Amino acid sequence: MEYAKENSIIEMMQTEFPEAHFTVKKERRIEVKMPSGRLYDFAVRMQKKWNFLHLSAISCVDWIDDGEFELVYHFWNYDEKVLVMAKIRIPREEEGDSHFETISNLWQPAKFFERDIHEMFGVYFDGSEDMERFILTDWTGPPPMRKDFITREFALNFYHYREYEPQWLKDMMAAGEGNE
Amino acid sequence: MDEKLTQRSVWEKIAAKLSKRSLWMLHYCTGCGAIELPPTMTARFDMERFGINPMVTPRQADILLITGYLSVKTLKRVVLTYEQMQAPKYVVGFGSCTINGGMYWNSYATMKSLDRYIPVETYIAGCMPRPEAIIHSFNELIAKIDRGEANSWKDYYKNYDFYRKNQEHTFEGPIETYNDIKADAALFRI
Repeated sequence: MEYAKENSIIEMMQTEFPEAHFTVKKERRIEVKMPSGRLYDFAVRMQKKWNFLHLSAISCVDWIDDGEFELVYHFWNYDEKVLVMAKIRIPREEEGDSHFETISNLWQPAKFFERDIHEMFGVYFDGSEDMERFILTDWTGPPPMRKDFITREFALNFYHYREYEPQWLKDMMAAGEGNE
Repeated sequence: MDEKLTQRSVWEKIAAKLSKRSLWMLHYCTGCGAIELPPTMTARFDMERFGINPMVTPRQADILLITGYLSVKTLKRVVLTYEQMQAPKYVVGFGSCTINGGMYWNSYATMKSLDRYIPVETYIAGCMPRPEAIIHSFNELIAKIDRGEANSWKDYYKNYDFYRKNQEHTFEGPIETYNDIKADAALFRI
């Protein structure tokens, strides 16, 4: 049978999370969409019960038209060699930070992912020990990875660009100087 | 150029003659340009034949080679490093990123022209410049030192307010520096 291993894992998880929606994306890749309130329980079971010991990454997607952020948690099982992507959606705040709960007490590396998402997207993870700035230490602008942040506009306003045809050079050329 | 800068005593001329052949380059690499330095240092192009050696500490170095783009976070470290170097000191901007931002011209996180923050002695255009170009610019630098024209480091002491203003604009507030530039300027009689 195709995807026998993946389907048995899904069956095991579906009994405890009937509201979650599981799909097999391809071989050894499982996607699960669930309500945001169930994510912490899911993460606890992933680590303690189902032996998904490795949290590969937490990523964030800005669905600006839906007014939502999508957080994707990537869990890896070393024995089964299966990656589970747990996707949840949280409301997107136009001003200030969106909030979600941390899982850094389960996985230490989650601290870094959460700090990164906080400064890049403006999602604050409540309950984390350390939400200081990580890479953009001197940043005061809006979170730069949001879809409504226009990189070019910000750069043109903020930085000084070299002037290639300044007025003094044009005046000099008009007066006949500078031409050999 | 005003007269005070161009007039040199005999001792300064002798010092320039001697120091132009013993330049130490700070081994501090930013961006992707660092990959061109190993061939420049080692047997193929061998910059030591011009008396240029890599040095690991800013206090003992003469040349600060900025190899490629500078993010705002790195720029802060570069400014602190530059201020710790002993005068005379020469900055070489390497690659188009230091000139006008290069391929990162619309990035929110990288600075666009290096000479707004620290005075630059020579630029090397290109993405990437080959080791021949680096050697060429070092020879230009040596010739400038010999002629007594490599005085851009004095510009930092003369126009410190301009550089400081640009730095504070980019870092969104004052930065903590370890050197008193105004006091140093009085020491150098600039």
